[in-house]
Amino acid sequence: MFFRIVERSFSKRKSRVAVAIIAVLMGASMTSGLLTVSGGIEDKLGKEFRRFGSNILVTPRSDTVEIGFPGISFGSVTEQRYIDESDLLKIKKIDEWSANVLGFAPFLYQVVQVEYKGSIQKVILAGTYFDRGYPDLVKTGEVWRTGIKKIAPYWNVEGAWIEDGDDKSAIAGISVAGKLNLEVGDYITLSYENSETKNMTTEQLKVVGTVNTGGSEDSQLFVTLSAAQRISGRPGKVHSVQVSGLCVECPAELIGAEIVKKLPYTEAKTVKQLVRAESMIMDQLGQMMFLITVVALVASGMTVTTTMMTTVMERRKEIGLMKSIGAENMTIAFIFLAEATIVGVAGGFFGYSLGNVLAQYIAESVFSAPISPLLLILPVTVVISLLVAVLASALPVRRAIRIDPAIVLRGE
Amino acid sequence: MMAKPKIVLKSVTKHYDAYTRALNNVDLVIPEGEWVSIIGPSGSGKTTLLNMMSGLDTPTSGTVSINDIDITGLGQKMLAKFRRENIGLIFQQYHLIPYLTALENVMIAQYFLGTVDKETASAALESMGLGHRLEHRPAQLSGGEQQRVCIARALINDPDIILADDPTGNLDVKNGEIVMETIKRLVSEGRTLALVTHNMDIAKQGRRTIELIDGKIFNDSSNRADTPLETSIARTASTRHGVR
Repeated sequence: MFFRIVERSFSKRKSRVAVAIIAVLMGASMTSGLLTVSGGIEDKLGKEFRRFGSNILVTPRSDTVEIGFPGISFGSVTEQRYIDESDLLKIKKIDEWSANVLGFAPFLYQVVQVEYKGSIQKVILAGTYFDRGYPDLVKTGEVWRTGIKKIAPYWNVEGAWIEDGDDKSAIAGISVAGKLNLEVGDYITLSYENSETKNMTTEQLKVVGTVNTGGSEDSQLFVTLSAAQRISGRPGKVHSVQVSGLCVECPAELIGAEIVKKLPYTEAKTVKQLVRAESMIMDQLGQMMFLITVVALVASGMTVTTTMMTTVMERRKEIGLMKSIGAENMTIAFIFLAEATIVGVAGGFFGYSLGNVLAQYIAESVFSAPISPLLLILPVTVVISLLVAVLASALPVRRAIRIDPAIVLRGE
Repeated sequence: MMAKPKIVLKSVTKHYDAYTRALNNVDLVIPEGEWVSIIGPSGSGKTTLLNMMSGLDTPTSGTVSINDIDITGLGQKMLAKFRRENIGLIFQQYHLIPYLTALENVMIAQYFLGTVDKETASAALESMGLGHRLEHRPAQLSGGEQQRVCIARALINDPDIILADDPTGNLDVKNGEIVMETIKRLVSEGRTLALVTHNMDIAKQGRRTIELIDGKIFNDSSNRADTPLETSIARTASTRHGVR
């Protein structure tokens, strides 16, 4: 009988029920949508942040020796050490956070002399990976690739990138190109004298592109790592490695620690400003989404309250009658709370579906990537919607149980 | 032998506000199984008097006792229990729930008592001549039929007190007669009836008629010369307050 009363009451007030369900649905869709987005946003935002470059710098651990007499310091001497290129793959093969290592690029630097059409400039030669493939790290049919292209998508290269294994090409920073009047396609002569062996190396390289980053790269000349190693006479050596670690809950320090565990002769420093900014943006975004969700749910709740209040006023006579023939306040309350429960569950369920559409739209328009619906969010959304509907019904229910049957039945 | 008092009102006064006195120091005793008709002009306090008896309204002062229980001291929960177990209410406006069928309108009273029985509810409606109207909604029924559904609902939990507020007031003569025949049958079965009416012919069918004026019992008289009233308390009270 109870369910018949609720069901018949619903079918008689379709439009009001629809308004209440739509109100809950709107709040629920925001909840579901933003929960889905926030579930995937850390991953997506982390990847977006990686467009700004690496966030971990791996360098060899150096011993610094203080020189001088007691009370008189002549400064310090630091022994130059290197990272072995053969160890680089260990960075990707760390234990726990391997999947978060999006890429890395090794660097070997050497000051060299560049000559072009009679102009001579000393520039920093940087050898690195541009787009290095690792066939032994094949996942889902794709070779794992790393290098500048992967970790520094902000590089603005005019002309062409250097192909992996092409040791006869160079990319000139925009300042270097400007000073030497270089253009893409020009050939430059590069020379380097080893200070220890006094061997002079001379190479002719083709400038295949120029790079403009607005940073220190603009003053450097880039070649493949193997070319830099050959020119500087440091085969298999690397000065530093820039690592791009995906910051979900920002475990950059943890990734760094794992790298050091694999390469004990190195130290890993996180780019703190970037890490902090990422963390702050994540927090603020989370707070903003929480606030939007709360506001949406409060708005939904207020609409449900208004709708239910109108329903109570419309049903005053019916409530008065029920009381007059023996209904207890609890019974009246249960009837309205049952209606609120149905409104909440239905709104939550449909809201979850709409929320997924919303999440897809946000993901596509903001991150240009789809987002997977999370089934776990369905019960969460339904429970939240149910709570909102029931809490929003508290005032109307209170009004209902305070209805005086004598007054109502008199027609006042 | 004097019948046991069923409904006893002692010095009942009801003020709605400083200026509206619906009942003024009413004393009334209705013995078990008696039909008391309540008459009086509009606004004289007839419906308020019925509401006091059913516990739908509480007196500003005085007490209302049913079956020796002072219902003015009961809480909402106990009052609801008292009503569903003891009182059958019949309204002038029928007050059926519009979205429920005739059968469901009867069953809802069973539901509140916790004993839903479709067969009994159907039988109650059939006894009212509404066996063919079980699944009809109130809007599909005539006024007389709606009032009979209301009576079936009032009786479904077998109350021993029927409080009827002008049950024929909205009915034509024929339907009014059908309803009154049903009500007479209820009294003949031993139920106590308090019936508010504007119709003197109906009032006279009861054993006793109380006339209310300005919230006071103006007259309390037997409708049968051969059967003197046993309600001396009521007679005394009405004489005390009702002299004009």
